Amino acid sequence: MGQLRLLMQVAFRNLFTSKINILIGGIIFFGTLLVVVGGALLDSMDSAMSRSIIGSVAGHLQVYSDDSKDELSLYGGMSGEPDLAVLDDFSRIKPVLEKHPNVKTVVPMGTSGALITSGNTVDLTLARLRDLYKKRAEEGESPALRANLDSVKSHVRQMVSLMEEQRNKSRELLSSAAVDPLEVEALARARTDAFWDTFEQDPFASLEFLENRIAPQLPDGDLLDMRYVGTDLDSFQRTFDRMEIVDGQPVPQGKRGMLLSKFYYENFLKLKTALRLDNIKQERDLNQKRIDTDPQLQRWVKENQTQPREILFQLDPIKTGQAVERLQKVLGSKEASLEKLLSEFLTTTDDNFDTRYQQFYAELAPLLELYRMRMGDNLTITAFTRTGYVQSINVKIYGTYQFKGLEKSAMAGVINLMDLMSFRELYGYLSPDRKAEIAELQKNSGLKAVDRANAEEALFGEESGNTLVAEATPGLIEDSKAFEGALGSLRRDDLASRVYSQQEIEQGVALSAAIILKDPEQLQQTMEELKQASTAAGLKLRVVSWQQAAGLIGQFVLMAKLVLYFAVFIIFIVALVIINNAMMMATLQRVREVGTMRAIGAQRSFILSMVLVETVLLGFVFGVGGALLGSGIMSALGSAGIPAGNEALYFFFSGPRLYPTLSAGNLIAAFVIVLLVSAISTLYPAFLATRVSPLQAMQTDE
Amino acid sequence: MNAAVAQSPIVSITNVTKDYTLGKVVVPALRGVDLQVHPGEFISIAGPSGSGKTTLLNLIGCVDTATSGVVSVAGQDTKQLTERQLTHLRLHTIGFIFQSFNLVSVLSVFQNVEFPLLLQRKLDKNQRKERVNQLLEQVGLAHHAKHRPNELSGGQRQRVAVARALVTRPQLVLADEPTANLDSVTGQHIIDLMKELNQKEGTTFIFSTHDAKVMNHANAVVRLADGKILDRLTPSEAKRALAVGAEGH
Ligand SMILES: Nc1ncnc2c1ncn2[C@@H]1O[C@H](COP(=O)(O)OP(=O)(O)OP(=O)(O)O)[C@@H](O)[C@H]1O
Ligand SMILES: [Mg+2]
Repeated sequence: MGQLRLLMQVAFRNLFTSKINILIGGIIFFGTLLVVVGGALLDSMDSAMSRSIIGSVAGHLQVYSDDSKDELSLYGGMSGEPDLAVLDDFSRIKPVLEKHPNVKTVVPMGTSGALITSGNTVDLTLARLRDLYKKRAEEGESPALRANLDSVKSHVRQMVSLMEEQRNKSRELLSSAAVDPLEVEALARARTDAFWDTFEQDPFASLEFLENRIAPQLPDGDLLDMRYVGTDLDSFQRTFDRMEIVDGQPVPQGKRGMLLSKFYYENFLKLKTALRLDNIKQERDLNQKRIDTDPQLQRWVKENQTQPREILFQLDPIKTGQAVERLQKVLGSKEASLEKLLSEFLTTTDDNFDTRYQQFYAELAPLLELYRMRMGDNLTITAFTRTGYVQSINVKIYGTYQFKGLEKSAMAGVINLMDLMSFRELYGYLSPDRKAEIAELQKNSGLKAVDRANAEEALFGEESGNTLVAEATPGLIEDSKAFEGALGSLRRDDLASRVYSQQEIEQGVALSAAIILKDPEQLQQTMEELKQASTAAGLKLRVVSWQQAAGLIGQFVLMAKLVLYFAVFIIFIVALVIINNAMMMATLQRVREVGTMRAIGAQRSFILSMVLVETVLLGFVFGVGGALLGSGIMSALGSAGIPAGNEALYFFFSGPRLYPTLSAGNLIAAFVIVLLVSAISTLYPAFLATRVSPLQAMQTDE
Repeated sequence: MNAAVAQSPIVSITNVTKDYTLGKVVVPALRGVDLQVHPGEFISIAGPSGSGKTTLLNLIGCVDTATSGVVSVAGQDTKQLTERQLTHLRLHTIGFIFQSFNLVSVLSVFQNVEFPLLLQRKLDKNQRKERVNQLLEQVGLAHHAKHRPNELSGGQRQRVAVARALVTRPQLVLADEPTANLDSVTGQHIIDLMKELNQKEGTTFIFSTHDAKVMNHANAVVRLADGKILDRLTPSEAKRALAVGAEGH
């Protein structure tokens, strides 16, 4: 007891008398600080991200077919969509999984992607015009309909003249097709009064001319990549409680339909001018960027100035007039050209941005379609089925949704939700009634199989033009008109309004299933047990944790941790060498003292413990110091939060700010590492100290 | 004195040689030494520089081993003992006083004196305190218990060292030139102190010195030359011998 006290006393007094010890202490101090702060940050990020992943689509566990070539990767893999084998019948899997006492819910899923085109403005306007003429053909002409027809017609006419104007101004703005003399001629013809005077004689033929010859000349129909998760929407919504509807309404139970991600809706479907204004506002407000200094903001302003076309095309003559009037008032200008007015209006600076932003939404926005798609619209999605056919279906957009905390995350934000029935069709799985429908159609028209190479052509080649938003399924049916037949459209309407029973939803393919656990702590164990249970039930399933299911993203924190631990490892290797050398020097300095103790009667073991106690105490004192400062930093960060500077971080932070917490585990880990390192690095010097001979006490050199 | 002689010797050295090897050169430091020291003796080892005084004390102090011959301390043949046992022997039987005091600089005077007691683990805290204070009293440093060694003069430091050497009540105290780093008056005081303790406690002292005045206090002076014992004299004989030696030079 007295000896230990003596050891402590010697160690403690030596602690601050030697410069070497201060150096070692400094290393230990910063090492601990790093381990505590870095470890806590990564752990917090890990748990934030796990909340993001578990709470958005992954659930705690995912199961998928063991026949799959690739591993499940919910957020997309390195080389696109992973190649998964289907789970033939979800209803057979569900009861097996649900039998486990720790399983709360099982949600069927399938992740896939498709290209959609939003259609260009001319197309959309022509489609509206066509609808009006159809209506007239069915119901006869009323004054209101006439007025409506005239308005849309003049809008189209205005578009044609805009196109001509633009073509003259800048050839780049138009697609290469526009250089074709035939196209130039078509545009010229569409501008003539003669064309418009005779329009009514055969409106459908005139429309067809515009659709086929004029619309394709305007290259503003975007091809958009869309990822979607087909799922039992009802069960999904109940299970993933971070999900909330933003616009519109949830898809009614059992119905086909889609919920677009709010992020996707805002970033990909919004009028670009408005999106750019939003982005500028966000950067200015949130990140304190300035237009006059930030090149990105300048680029956005520039794009807004030079690309007013999407607005010009949207406005019919009446609205154009209103827009001109409003902008003239706002700008105090007499300019008559809307294009010039817009360009001036959108020339925003740090001084006028906030007013202009507010004016844009107050004055211009009411005249515009801010989004290319509205709630209630039908979206036509065309996708390759697994067998290489091109499958195309209409899905109604019911609303937009977001995951709380992940609103700004591009990662979580690209996931759009679709009902499982539609998903299965796009995936190439045919429901019984769909099978019957196709059999009927096949009787009426020849079936043309399209392999992937041809399918590309069929989808995006000349014939199909830019009109992917159509009711055709080009690859499957030779003559797209076949679908326009009474039977086809009847079936379609039927499908859209049909309510599927839970049984129908569950009996069929899924690509994977998300499992939510009652007690997430037992994830590992439950995972093993589910594996056994599914094998026992004769199901060939792979059961993976959310981390594995998330693919590369799931590994991100792990990788960051590896980097941190590697850095810590390097630092401590360096520390080890430095401490080792410093302790050697310290031992050499104290040879006479050690020799004296040995002469007086101290055993080697006493000398060994003296040196070790000293280092451990050193590690302890400075380690505690580092840990205290680390905890201080963490608690400051924990209450202030670390802002997610960019959108990628939203996902990892599971929200706009990360509120890191320090766990006892972090502190203990830091402590163990520090004590271990200091003890290890002292072993050799301590051993040397025990070899000091008592004769060295007699050395008289001072 | 006769009673002491009758007792078995505390140190018994028989035909001891000690060679140091420096590279290929063998330096014979002791060449056949016989010496018996009995309990209660106060012996001075004298001899010119390089004669082997330190070497002899190191062998007696069990911090070094003889090349040949037998060194037995407190009845134990040191050749037969392990390094642990030698350390144990040093701790319990021998006290050391060094030429340069060798106090532990980070410990207080009290703690320095207490150190061997802590190593011994024989006494409890109060007993240790009592013993240390008693020793500090005896060396006249009772009021300096809390001081650090660097706050003391050389003489005071050596007195602390004396207290440390004696605190365990060893049978034998070895001191290699304990006064060499002190001025003659202070050195005198230290020897007086040692002598006093020798008389009061009966502790055996063996010390080496160059100083003739210091030798005066000894019961016997063992003269060494060239690694051999010349003779064992009384102080007065030694004084004469030295005087003769001085005349001879
Ligand atoms: N560690 C050693 N290595 C080699 N030779 C040594 C060593 N220690 C002592 N010697 C040699 O042994 C002989 C005796 O030395 P020792 O130190 O015992 O003499 P001493 O009488 O104590 O001398 P001094 O009065 O100078 O202290 C000397 O010749 C010395 O050079
Ligand atoms: Mg000597």
